[in-house]
Amino acid sequence: MAARPRPTSPHLSIYRFTITMTMSIVHRATGIANYAGTVLLAAWLAAAAWGEDALNVVNTIYGSWFGMIVLFGYTWSLLHHMLGGIRHFVWDLGYGFEPGQREGLAWANLIASVVLTLLVWTLFVWMA
Amino acid sequence: MREHVVTREMIANPKSKYGNPKAATRHFFLQRLSGVSNIVFTLFLVFIVVRLAGEGRADVVGLLGNPLVGIPFAILFAIVAFHMRIGMNEVIEDYVSEERTNRLTMALNAFFALAVGLVGVVSILKIVFWG
Repeated sequence: MAARPRPTSPHLSIYRFTITMTMSIVHRATGIANYAGTVLLAAWLAAAAWGEDALNVVNTIYGSWFGMIVLFGYTWSLLHHMLGGIRHFVWDLGYGFEPGQREGLAWANLIASVVLTLLVWTLFVWMA
Repeated sequence: MREHVVTREMIANPKSKYGNPKAATRHFFLQRLSGVSNIVFTLFLVFIVVRLAGEGRADVVGLLGNPLVGIPFAILFAIVAFHMRIGMNEVIEDYVSEERTNRLTMALNAFFALAVGLVGVVSILKIVFWG
C-alpha cells in the first residue's frame, strides 16, 4: 500500500494575514527582540556594578533620544511578549479556542500591550 | 531539544518517527514554568527601572544592594537567560536545518544566553555583597 506523504507546512507567503497569525509572528519577533534587549539590561547592571563612571556613560547613552526610543520599543516588546505568554497560558488551560475568542484574545494582546506601554511611560517617564 | 536534525524527507515519510517526546514535553513544561517566572520578573523589572533609571550609583546600590531585592532579582534574571536559550532554540530548529550550522547556532545560542545571564547575575550579586 502506497502511503501518502505527510503534509509539510508551506511558508508564510501563501496565507492571507489574520490577526491570530500576525500576533503569533509578533510573539516570536518580540521574543527575539527581548533576547537582544536583555543585553541592554545586563550592560546597565554591569556598569552599576563596575563604578560611577561606567554607570554615567550608560545613563547618558540610555537617556539620549535614540536610547529612549530603543527603551520605549524594548518596553513594548517585553510587555507584548508577556501578554502573549499569558494568552498561551489561557490556551494551555483549555480556554479561548472558539471562533471569535481567538481573534478577541489576539486583539486584546495587541491593544493591551500598547496601552500598558503608554501607561508605564506616561506615569513613570513623561509625568515623573 | 532534539539530538538530530529533522529533514524534509523525515517529515514527509508517514512511517518515520522523529523528535524526542520526553525532551519535547520537558521543553514545553520548562518554557511555561520559566514563562510564569518571567511575568514576575517583568513586573519586578518595571519597579526597579522606574526607581533607578538615570539615577547614580548610590541609588542603584541602595535598592539592588538590599538582599531582599537583589537576590530574587538575580534568580529571576538567571531564569530569563534560560528562557531566552530555549526560546531561541525553537527558532533555530525552525529555520536552520543544515546539520552542522544547526549545531553551531545552537552552541552559539547556549553561549550567548550563558554569557548574558552570568554578566547580569554576577553584577547584581556584586552589588548585593560588595556594594
